[in-house]
Amino acid sequence: MDFFNADILVLGAGGAGLRAAIAAAQSAPDMTVALVSKVYPMRSHTVAAEGGSAGVVRADDSLDNHFNDTVEGGDWLCEQDVVDYFVGHCTREMIQLEHWGCPWSRQPDGHVNVRKFGGMKVERTWFAADRSGFHILHTLFQTSTKFPQIRRFDEYFCVDLIVDDGRVQGAVVLSPATGEFTAIRARAVVMATGGAGRVFRQNTNGGIVTGDGMALAFRHGVPLRDMEFVQYHPTCLPGTGILITEGCRGEGALLVNKDNYRYLQDYGLGPVTPEPRNKFMELGPRDRLSQAFWQEERKGRTVTTPQGEAVLLDLRHLGAAKLKERLPLICELAKSFAGVDPVTAAIPVRPAVHYTMGGILVDIDTASPLAGLYAAGECSSVGIHGANRLGSNSLAELTVFGRVAGEQAAAFAKAAPAADARSADQARAIEAKALALLQQNGDGERHAALRTEMAVSMERGCGIYRLGPEMQQTCETIAQLKQRYQHVALEDRSRVWNTDWIGAIELGYQLDVAEAMAHAALARKESRGAHQRLDGFDKRDDANYLSHSLAHYQEGAAPRITAQPVKITRSPPGQRAYGALGEQLEAARKDATHA
Amino acid sequence: MSERRPYLRPQPRTWWAHPPYRAYTIRELCGVALAVYGAILLAGLVCLARGPAAFESYRAFLASPLSLALHLLLLAAALWHMVTWFRILPKTMPKLVWHGKLVPQALMTQAATLLAVGCSVALLALVVVVGAWS
Amino acid sequence: MPDTTAKTTIELRILRYCPSTDTEPAFGSFQVPYSDDMSVLQALQEIKATLDGSLAFRWSCRMAVCGSCGMMINGEPKLACNTFLRDLAPGPVTVEPLQNFPIERDLVVTVGDFVKKIESIYPYVMPKVPKTVEEGTYLQTPSQMEAYASFADCINCMLCYAACPQYGANPDFIGPGAMALLQRYSSDSRDGGQQARLDQIRGEDGVWSCTAVGICSEVCPKQVDPANAVNQNKSNSALDFFLSGLRKESVT
Repeated sequence: MDFFNADILVLGAGGAGLRAAIAAAQSAPDMTVALVSKVYPMRSHTVAAEGGSAGVVRADDSLDNHFNDTVEGGDWLCEQDVVDYFVGHCTREMIQLEHWGCPWSRQPDGHVNVRKFGGMKVERTWFAADRSGFHILHTLFQTSTKFPQIRRFDEYFCVDLIVDDGRVQGAVVLSPATGEFTAIRARAVVMATGGAGRVFRQNTNGGIVTGDGMALAFRHGVPLRDMEFVQYHPTCLPGTGILITEGCRGEGALLVNKDNYRYLQDYGLGPVTPEPRNKFMELGPRDRLSQAFWQEERKGRTVTTPQGEAVLLDLRHLGAAKLKERLPLICELAKSFAGVDPVTAAIPVRPAVHYTMGGILVDIDTASPLAGLYAAGECSSVGIHGANRLGSNSLAELTVFGRVAGEQAAAFAKAAPAADARSADQARAIEAKALALLQQNGDGERHAALRTEMAVSMERGCGIYRLGPEMQQTCETIAQLKQRYQHVALEDRSRVWNTDWIGAIELGYQLDVAEAMAHAALARKESRGAHQRLDGFDKRDDANYLSHSLAHYQEGAAPRITAQPVKITRSPPGQRAYGALGEQLEAARKDATHA
Repeated sequence: MSERRPYLRPQPRTWWAHPPYRAYTIRELCGVALAVYGAILLAGLVCLARGPAAFESYRAFLASPLSLALHLLLLAAALWHMVTWFRILPKTMPKLVWHGKLVPQALMTQAATLLAVGCSVALLALVVVVGAWS
Repeated sequence: MPDTTAKTTIELRILRYCPSTDTEPAFGSFQVPYSDDMSVLQALQEIKATLDGSLAFRWSCRMAVCGSCGMMINGEPKLACNTFLRDLAPGPVTVEPLQNFPIERDLVVTVGDFVKKIESIYPYVMPKVPKTVEEGTYLQTPSQMEAYASFADCINCMLCYAACPQYGANPDFIGPGAMALLQRYSSDSRDGGQQARLDQIRGEDGVWSCTAVGICSEVCPKQVDPANAVNQNKSNSALDFFLSGLRKESVT
């Protein structure tokens, strides 16, 4: 086993991890930042984000607007002080990315352009055509190469954290290329490992989105917060789940059912206007749109495709030129993966799991309850998304809180003592455990089969609408799968590029995260945002559930679920409405404040 | 000690003879035709310097069926070289942006081809006119 | 006449290599269920999940943007995720690791060398006019963006390297992908690092290994046109050579 001494360790090199590493390198130039990623950084899942990133920039917009949209979008389950910090720092991060070279789409005069997005009152989504995440990721990765103190560990897979003396002191990582382990000692660790959407079957996520960091922190006693809130993105290709960006609707795309009827008007999102207005119809939030699809499917008003039921996303009226300029990737994806040219035909779409709103519990400084451990990006729950994330808030989150995490970790590392000597023994024990899995002779069951069962069960129990008994069943299934996981057998015993081995370790992470999701969902006996129940708890219940859920890991048992109060500073919970009702309520609120 | 042992498959020695590289190989070989034609002209110059008899035998060679066939072959090769080079011409130039939009590469190839054809026709016309005069 | 659409399986011939047990790569054959909408990547995933868990290959996004799953499919460099079995039926389909790269295991090749090349060309904005965040964004017109836009679309999938015979002959050649990235920054109106980058690409291992084969641009899944980047820089490098001669004379 090799040992590497760093000051700060960043796990994950997607948008949040890269931003954290750069911030750490800038704020503490004399420190060594170890940046670990299980794939080459430019493969990280930030690459697949399409639509754009929020940042107030127009004269007719305000930070208050962004705050209100976010808090209302999150169904008042947001940490409002954190949202205030967030909206106040988005724009400067977008400018910073521009300085680093991000090719934001421009207006003819050279100023940055912004587009409409779901649930946002005013246009504030910065975009780079429909490859926003791709360009942000590549810009950050390429910029990070400027800093010699960032020591990258590309294609190193994290098997466990080193925790001793009540603080995190590093991690043990495995190189697939060699099959050898390295213990990276550090005084502070930033977790930036992304979401866990792959615990579901139909999802928009890359194969690497397996909740590794969430599970690792969870196992070391850090609670996972709000895990029941899993976002279904309403417009994805049936079958593959490939994402068809909300940017389409931002540019004016329409959603129709099999009768060519704009069905969203039946679900409190109307009235219909030829081009969708902000916060109306197609520009409603993702949870509402996904739920509307579910209802349409029940009513038999969806289109049947070989890959399942779908509705139609119609972009034809935008014309070939605009589609080529604003949505080139979507045109390419629709053609190759759905056999549809959006210039001449509507794209069949349906909801698929997209984003994990919950994650590692951290405070406004991205600090987790475990000393020295920070978290940013989708793996974290800093508290800005609440019960439903608004599109374009997550790319902004990566940069705003990635920077905070890097700076805070650097500050912590300056004050913290070096890793203690016992960490070597712990690292060797971690290595031995991982090697034991490689040699495990189980009953011959492949982990791939378990993974499929998990994903099917999560979809049944924790889908767009949820029922108590089905959630209960999912909890039981996951518990059984965890038992069977103890006996999986690997087919591959080689140390070199053994993806069978890594896949098995990832499944262990996924099962822990899935279990937290299912139990948190079962415990929330109300409907809020992306958590909608049909078994008598179909209303929001602020009296009992205006609180975060915390899932606490328990070795060999189901997670314990507790509640944590929500920080409400200036926006008391109100009725969450879009379309005409939303407009009325806002007018009433305005009158009330003026009176 | 790691079991890692990367295996490099060498590039086949005859890569240039197989598609998709064959087209490139032919394009480059056609360039040789231009050199051959240059050599033929040079031989004419050398014969001219050696005196009337030598130049006469050179002219006789030029008029032979073998020479005509060779020249046809060289002409075809030179034309093909031109066509294929114009095809990759846009790859060798800075990007042209017109009113905020890229000029399509096919258009650049067409314009260059048209220009070459135009020049050739003009040259031919000149030769005919000058020939008629003298 | 046999009806190929009725075919229920398709054969994949995959080049396998495991350094712990094999002295050299050899083909293995697998029959996978065939369907019209199935990509080669999905076929590989099916093999890994149900037939042979030891098959090694990289993949992630499944939507042709992460650049992980480049491989030789029927001899051509392709992304496995957007190459469909329907275009290869009735098979067999040959799948090999990317040409010109050392094979680590099965379809996994060495990437580190390529990433070092990317890092060597200063792949970031070296501002012409430094600006603070408080001063706001730079102005950049759509025309100015067009000058570098296609080069910024490179997903680093390395298909162009697998297609480049000059890279095959000289692995130290900086190659098309890295040159596309170089040109992405050097033709950005915000950037002032052109000279520093030109200094990196002189000589045989720089741009001058390129003989304008042009296949790199043909195999590019994102229409980045790396051949254009390389050849623009041949002119730039040649000009720089003469100008640097002049500069030296004027100094003495």
